[in-house]
Amino acid sequence: MLSRAAERVYWTGRYLERAENTARIVQQYSQLLLDLPDEVGVGWDELVTIFGAASEFPGAGEVSEEVAVLRFLVSDPNSGCSLVRSIRMARDNMRNTRDLLPQESWESVNELDQFARRALVSTVDDEDRFEVLSECIARCLQVDGILVGTMSHGAPYQFLRLGQSLERADMTSRVLDVATAYVRRDPDLIDRFGSVLGTNALKSVSGFQMYRQYCQPQIEGERVVEFLVRDTLFPRAIASCVNRARFACSRLPGGEAPLDCLDRIVEHLGQDPEDDLTAADVSAIMDRIQQWLGQVHEAVVHTWFTPDADQ
Amino acid sequence: MTFNGQDYESGAFFDELIGRDGRARPHAEALARYFAEMVPADLAQRQAAVDRTIADMGISFTVYSEGDNIDRAWPLDLIPRAMPGDEWDRIEAGLVQRVRALNLFIDDLYNDRRILADKVVPAEIIDSSRNYLAPCRGFSPRHGVWAHVTGTDLVRGGDGTVYVLEDNLRVPSGVSYMLENRTVIKRVFPSLFRNLRIRPVGEYPTRLAEMLASIAPEQAADGAPEIVVLTPGIYNSAYFEHSFLARTMGAELVEGGDLFVDDDDCVYMRTIEGPCRVDVIYRRIDDTFMDPEAFRKDSMLGVPGLTRAWRAGNVALANAPGSGVADDKVVYSYVPDIIRYYLDQDPIIPNVPTWRCSDPQHLEHVLSRLPELVVKPANESGGYGMLIGPQATKAEHARFHDLLNADPRNYIAQPTLDLSTAPTLSSGRLEPRHLDLRPFILQGADLSVTAGGLTRVAMRKGSLVVNSSQGGGSKDTWIVEENR
Repeated sequence: MLSRAAERVYWTGRYLERAENTARIVQQYSQLLLDLPDEVGVGWDELVTIFGAASEFPGAGEVSEEVAVLRFLVSDPNSGCSLVRSIRMARDNMRNTRDLLPQESWESVNELDQFARRALVSTVDDEDRFEVLSECIARCLQVDGILVGTMSHGAPYQFLRLGQSLERADMTSRVLDVATAYVRRDPDLIDRFGSVLGTNALKSVSGFQMYRQYCQPQIEGERVVEFLVRDTLFPRAIASCVNRARFACSRLPGGEAPLDCLDRIVEHLGQDPEDDLTAADVSAIMDRIQQWLGQVHEAVVHTWFTPDADQ
Repeated sequence: MTFNGQDYESGAFFDELIGRDGRARPHAEALARYFAEMVPADLAQRQAAVDRTIADMGISFTVYSEGDNIDRAWPLDLIPRAMPGDEWDRIEAGLVQRVRALNLFIDDLYNDRRILADKVVPAEIIDSSRNYLAPCRGFSPRHGVWAHVTGTDLVRGGDGTVYVLEDNLRVPSGVSYMLENRTVIKRVFPSLFRNLRIRPVGEYPTRLAEMLASIAPEQAADGAPEIVVLTPGIYNSAYFEHSFLARTMGAELVEGGDLFVDDDDCVYMRTIEGPCRVDVIYRRIDDTFMDPEAFRKDSMLGVPGLTRAWRAGNVALANAPGSGVADDKVVYSYVPDIIRYYLDQDPIIPNVPTWRCSDPQHLEHVLSRLPELVVKPANESGGYGMLIGPQATKAEHARFHDLLNADPRNYIAQPTLDLSTAPTLSSGRLEPRHLDLRPFILQGADLSVTAGGLTRVAMRKGSLVVNSSQGGGSKDTWIVEENR
């Protein structure tokens, strides 16, 4: 398999996942704000922070903060972290590797792209937002379903999965980072709205139901963090994503360097299960996890995409 | 001859299927009978079936429009264009003769330059051609062959004579559409194929792969040589074809960035398992974009050092850089002499009569008759920079008058051709439309020619423009055996 093709398939996986997660997070965040009174001080700008894009956000200007954030994160094709842009990037990467991926997945991602360009503008209107984002999520899942259901599990598939797993782990860590940030800022919040924030974190990664089934019915901050970081059964928990990334690397030729990085994450996640994950520490831990995931990405690039870059 | 109740008027031009007497030509009788039974609704329904098959198979081409690029469904007219087998045999012999002579010519130009010393072709024509590439001098590729894939454009004039219009020795495209057209028409009209003997075209990808293997460096010949198709990428209008050929040959489709030349002057592609040696590159990018080290420094599409690896004999390039020197339209005018010089034979297929503006007498003649002639620049392709005398304004005539006087070497002129026609579905009825034919000729260790080629048809009434980007369509091309 050509390195270039591998890289594009990997990015297809990442962008598809990013698109789906962006839609989920924005959708859930809109719901959350309806539950929190203004004096809590949780605003739309926090959402930009989740995406690590505070420095690129141009600010509200003429429009309300809500509209500005939604344009920035959803509908503006010129914004580097918008949903519509992620979908376009997924499509462009897939277009370059059409011969490797099932024809239906290409058709499906094309339809998704056309839908996104047409419909996402209306997410600034809160009456339409939920429905449009739901359709976006459903279409992302449709593409994913075609890939899972019709693709041989050779190298292209493993690169797709690898990109998807790393992106998903990264997104989950960002959701947790923000959910616990309010608590850090005002410990009092945890008493009043702890379960609302925990529920939001879970719902942002569609983990609410599985948490209740596999963990406990009560929403407790620390157990939520524990679940979203260390659970190996829930597919959006970080440990679970890391395991899938390890599996993909193990099926690819010469993946020792990325595997070493992934093993290090597993090792760290496994330590001190009781007291490591208090809300106060979460932010530092998430920063570290994001750094480690960045190292995995570097190792992947170096191993498979630009192996001769340092010649 | 009537089609769907209406008289088909083949008009003043030579029609490929219907004779002047209004009756189908012998090789087209079965075809004409089949379509004559159809009412307009049948024709429309069959055309819809053709269009649907094309959409389902994803046969597309790319057009550029306002910076965006769009994949469009490939336009295919449902009525095939047929030619008799014995006529084709003669054309095929003519193409083989022509390509063989042209390859001897190119090899001579970059080495001994005998034909120039013997003053059959003036040396200044070659030395002033921007397609004569200095980095290619003093080298001879395997088998002495430079143009491995040629897409000769043929046209038929009003008297029924078939002429060579252009040789296209660089990166001719269209062969994938020839193959796909046949696939589609076979699906939609299977019964026609059962009752007629039509020469198959489907083995082209195999022939291409065999030809490419035959030019691999000799040290690679023991194993299966690694063959790749080099494309400029998805934004190229022929990307569908690049991808199609790579897929049907089982070759890797690569871009410039996938390849590199190492210190050993060998070419490698970057794979997830490390560098992998490449033996043959079927390149679909222009000569001068191929290697920024040897040609255009600003090329982002090429591979630095490719020419070095090629000259060291470590990789084969098809077509070889520099083969475009024989695409110069002034050189074209000498091809009949070139055939006589190298093969000692008379040309089987004539050239379109051509005036060279570099010759003062020719120039005078051309300047006095501009409104009747077609004037072409020597080194453009795709119809750029042309004057079509009868359709041009007085101001354009005046402009070309000046251009020709300023730079006569770079222009040739030809009579306006009465291109032949064939019945084509237009607004529900069959009408004559002008067409041409592009067969593909492969030369490596051996020579082979496609049975027929890609027929391109101008879909607008009276138009001579067959380019798909400008509203042209295509037809399946049948070489029909009559002795059955």
